[in-house]
Amino acid sequence: MRLLDVKNLTVEIDTGSVFVKALDKVSLTVETGEIRALVGESGSGKSLIVRAIIGAIPDHWIITADRLTWKGQNLLTMSNEQRRIIMRREIAVVFQDPTSSLDPSATLRSQLEESIPEELLDKGMFWQRNKQRREIAIGLMHKVGIKNHEACMQRYPHEIAADIAQKFMIAMALVSEPELLIADDPTRSMESTTKNQILRLLSGLNETRKLAILFVSHDLLAISSMAHTMTVLYCGQTVESGKVKHLHRRPLHPYTKALLDSAPSFQINLPPKSHLVALPGTIPTLKHLPIGCRLGPRCPNARKECVKVPEQKMVHQHSYSCHFPLHSPVDDDLETKQ
Amino acid sequence: MIPVLEVKNLIYTYRVRRSIFKPVDEFIVGPVDFVLNAGETLAVTGHNGSGKTLLARALVGAITPQQGSILLEGKKAEQSDKKTRNHNIRLILQHSKYSLNPAVTVGSVLGQTLLLNTELNEQERKTKIEQTLVKVGLLREHYYFYRHMLSDGQQQRVSLARAMILDPKVIVADEPFAALDPSVRSQTVNLILDIQQELGMAFVFISQNLGIVRHISDKVMIMDKGKVIEAGSSKTVFDDPQHEVTRKLIDSHFSLVDKHFEQF
Repeated sequence: MRLLDVKNLTVEIDTGSVFVKALDKVSLTVETGEIRALVGESGSGKSLIVRAIIGAIPDHWIITADRLTWKGQNLLTMSNEQRRIIMRREIAVVFQDPTSSLDPSATLRSQLEESIPEELLDKGMFWQRNKQRREIAIGLMHKVGIKNHEACMQRYPHEIAADIAQKFMIAMALVSEPELLIADDPTRSMESTTKNQILRLLSGLNETRKLAILFVSHDLLAISSMAHTMTVLYCGQTVESGKVKHLHRRPLHPYTKALLDSAPSFQINLPPKSHLVALPGTIPTLKHLPIGCRLGPRCPNARKECVKVPEQKMVHQHSYSCHFPLHSPVDDDLETKQ
Repeated sequence: MIPVLEVKNLIYTYRVRRSIFKPVDEFIVGPVDFVLNAGETLAVTGHNGSGKTLLARALVGAITPQQGSILLEGKKAEQSDKKTRNHNIRLILQHSKYSLNPAVTVGSVLGQTLLLNTELNEQERKTKIEQTLVKVGLLREHYYFYRHMLSDGQQQRVSLARAMILDPKVIVADEPFAALDPSVRSQTVNLILDIQQELGMAFVFISQNLGIVRHISDKVMIMDKGKVIEAGSSKTVFDDPQHEVTRKLIDSHFSLVDKHFEQF
């Protein structure tokens, strides 16, 4: 079943004189039990998509979309109360910067215990509720890999390390047993052992509880080890999306290829201290967006036609928007059968 | 050949008393020993809170180690002799964004460094700054830019320019790529490799990204709780890690890489 369906989402930001399209016709779907990765560099609008889904966009920005639905319910037209109920129980979000998105004036214990829904406290009489709350909280802390829970629980957010705060955010998101977890850069500032632990936890939850995950990140190593499908974003435009396997084997868009090549871990035969593949230039700022395909000025095979925004084309669940794809798109499954 | 940088038995103890009733918290970094030749890169890696940043700060002289010595080209780098030390060992800080003064232009950020450390006059300073800006892949016009007008990658380049404007022997870089996006990161890695090859600088490079550590380093040092638990050439350490923690760190990185290749 299609849980989240976003089609042609456009967000326009008021810059004072003109409206700038920070997101330009972005499409994204998350199916039940799927791990979808949303890849993009900073400023590409990853976090803006997350904010549009959870409804944290300021009123004076313009959101238009062909579809923005959660299990068939339109998120854009529903009342705030309905939306809040969905956000409370069905969608959980791990925000980007953990230390600044936790309440600085409350201890971790009270924040975690507060976020446990009443429905989960069904055992025992009302005077046993607090004890039960505490047990659930401690269980969650252990689950995400915080071992000395006693020392952590009494602290305030500024007193703990960034990676522990990140794990704590994940614990808080998992407390309401959601159907979709939106994780905005959950493995930032973590060393590889901790990162592995978190990734294992997330893929474990995906397998055992059918938790769908929207994994927003630019850590390609983490993504390709756990995600099933992937959507690549550049400057607010969806560039390519499809199965991770297909994208790795046969990227159609030049940006996807450049992104995948930039990680030294993916290339076995790379001699040490040799040059890495990199696109020239940097990501344009919102005020100076190029017209047409936004990769245009940096693209190695840009031509005259690229001043027009390319249509999104779809070949066997692998969609791309480029006038000149790198390969002629063919069916991968067909090829392996032969 | 005399090594550019030699560190012998360096120990720094960090003491903090949170309240008069509580005992003093102690965190000891070291003893650290290593030898670095010109044109070589030493990568320091380890878990969060293992004392990597403290080691970087001790190397550049921002904190005074209690024991041990730092030899620069065979001569002892004294804490009091700031001039030669600042000239030859330069630091790139963790967050380049916050380490640049937002109220002054790039030109005067770099100019201050020259003003305090050299005898150049104004005209010479300006030429030197422009040369350095071009060297790190920026334009001469960036002299007049403020911090907020630059992108993340460009800010990182300004930090690099500030580190290398005095033509140092050693650059200590504390997580220089952590905040950068993949494509900009590759550009910066290429830039650092080029500069190292061209000028023969030695790099001490602190990072958690093992993919990049393996790619650019000659030697690796792994720290845990302030102690150096393993050190050696990066090929031997990555191929055959000895210590438990190192093995865990490297295995967990490569299990992700393996998972990636399993798909094919």
